[in-house]
Amino acid sequence: PKYIIPDCFSGFSPRGDRGGRGGRGGRGGFGDRGRGGFRGGRGGGFKSPDGGFRGRGGGRGGPRGRGGRGAGRGGFGAGKKVLVEPHRHEGVFICRGKEDALVTKNMVVGESVYGEKRMSVEEGETKIEYRAWNPFRSKLAAAILGGIDQIHIKPGAKVMYLGAASGTTVSHVSDIVGPDGLVYAVEFSHRSGRDLLNVAKKRTNIIPIIEDARHPHKYRMLVGMVDVIFADVAQPDQTRIVALNAHNFLKNGGHFVISIKANCIDSTAAPEAVFASEVKKMSAENMKPQEQLTLEPYERDHAVVVAVASPPITYTCE
Amino acid sequence: MSKLYYSCEAGGRYFTFSSLALTFESVMVVPELLTTKKPASRKHLGLLEKKKDYKLRADDYHKKQNTLAALRKKALEKNPDEFYFNMINSQLQDGVHTAKRPKEEAEVTEEQKRIMKTQDIKYVEMKRVAEAKKIERMKGELHLLDADRKQKNKHTFFVDTKKEVKSFDLAKQLNTAPQLVDRVYNRPTLKTLETKTIQGAADPCSVKKLARQRDHQYRILSQRIDREKKMFVISQKIQTRKDLQDKAKKVKVKKETATSAAIYKFESKRKR
Repeated sequence: PKYIIPDCFSGFSPRGDRGGRGGRGGRGGFGDRGRGGFRGGRGGGFKSPDGGFRGRGGGRGGPRGRGGRGAGRGGFGAGKKVLVEPHRHEGVFICRGKEDALVTKNMVVGESVYGEKRMSVEEGETKIEYRAWNPFRSKLAAAILGGIDQIHIKPGAKVMYLGAASGTTVSHVSDIVGPDGLVYAVEFSHRSGRDLLNVAKKRTNIIPIIEDARHPHKYRMLVGMVDVIFADVAQPDQTRIVALNAHNFLKNGGHFVISIKANCIDSTAAPEAVFASEVKKMSAENMKPQEQLTLEPYERDHAVVVAVASPPITYTCE
Repeated sequence: MSKLYYSCEAGGRYFTFSSLALTFESVMVVPELLTTKKPASRKHLGLLEKKKDYKLRADDYHKKQNTLAALRKKALEKNPDEFYFNMINSQLQDGVHTAKRPKEEAEVTEEQKRIMKTQDIKYVEMKRVAEAKKIERMKGELHLLDADRKQKNKHTFFVDTKKEVKSFDLAKQLNTAPQLVDRVYNRPTLKTLETKTIQGAADPCSVKKLARQRDHQYRILSQRIDREKKMFVISQKIQTRKDLQDKAKKVKVKKETATSAAIYKFESKRKR
């Protein structure tokens, strides 16, 4: 059978339950080939060096024991199983096959960073691998799918990423900017910083910085001038933090992409009011807002604001 | 085959069919007259009643009589103090008995009852978590690109002058083709359209096939989400029932419904 969708609660009846488990066990047992059969005879179509998500077990060190079960999956999509269309934003693609996903070109072929799905397309001789970019987890991905005009993150760009967390979105940004670009990923928490370091090990264009973004002078020796600052710090004084970093590292006419979580700024006010007040604060900090986008249906009460650094006012004496 | 009744008399015969299907054959096989003719002198008295006809008439008469008798008896034996709540909770509307207040939905559906009786909370919870994980995995690759969005996002552009507001054109702002403006998830720029190409399975046949497979995936996803929600309700209900066994004082804050467990407020007590 192709897909067995049990009746809502058939899993509860003894027989239905056994049936369901049997199906899953079968898949795991056959490993790669079982998976092939499941998708309709695509057995040897793909070659995945490890035959699965190496990243899932190793990268995150997940103690959940799912590595074994995941052995039969991953690396799917040989040849004509997917359609990849170039996105408005360079370095981003839309993958439409059995899946319906925003993807980036994988810089480290054969590796998943956080257990995301990979899909490869063969064009003649060359094989290109893409990684799914989950908009339910990443604000930047949600903004891209929401139809934002400019993200200013493109191949060759130098990006400062404030609030990098475990480096899931950072890995996609690093895919976009490519080997010629750079991502300075700033994260304060040591715990998620550890994951970030692991991501940076495999990707040479990420420079991880485990420091408080409120004190840019602590890492000023590491960072050069950047083209764009992306901020997802979810702090009430977010705008000030961004302005501080912009003052130190952003080139003239550089851009800001700031994700705002209304709850983190002011949990009592209406989201629209919070966004408006943040935009106002940004204008006061020499940032000129260009567009604002809310992130439904992926996130609730979130917005992304894109701004440009306005040139400082110069006074001439006469 | 339809049964054929007939009684005959001088010159005339008539038949009734128990079924409406009057077929050509059934008309053809009518046999010749079987009974004696009615004398011409009595013809003016009309059709002659036969035993068969009498039987039908009598049976009908007795049935009616019996019914009448039963009703009379019922009326005689009626208890004047008889009372049912339905008597005051319902009324006649256009000659039809209807409940004054529409019936409330069951607090616990049959399905919930069945599961709550036979399964313990740990099992339900285990199943729910398994479902939730699968949902999470599916959501990682199904990003609702074409989905008809209930909650629309809001896109604001900041411009300097009122004149720019008036002359604002979205396609021009985004530097894309006007017919692509509604395709929110990807509005390629004119330059991208010129220089880049689609890779992979771009022929119409496989595009169609992939679309079908994608639809199927979305259907599975929505079913899983549904199932997860249902199991969540059940596990909450089981938990509430467990909590109620506690002897502490409690007040019901919210009633139980088919989609949510009841909410109680427990008196807090210092543990010594």
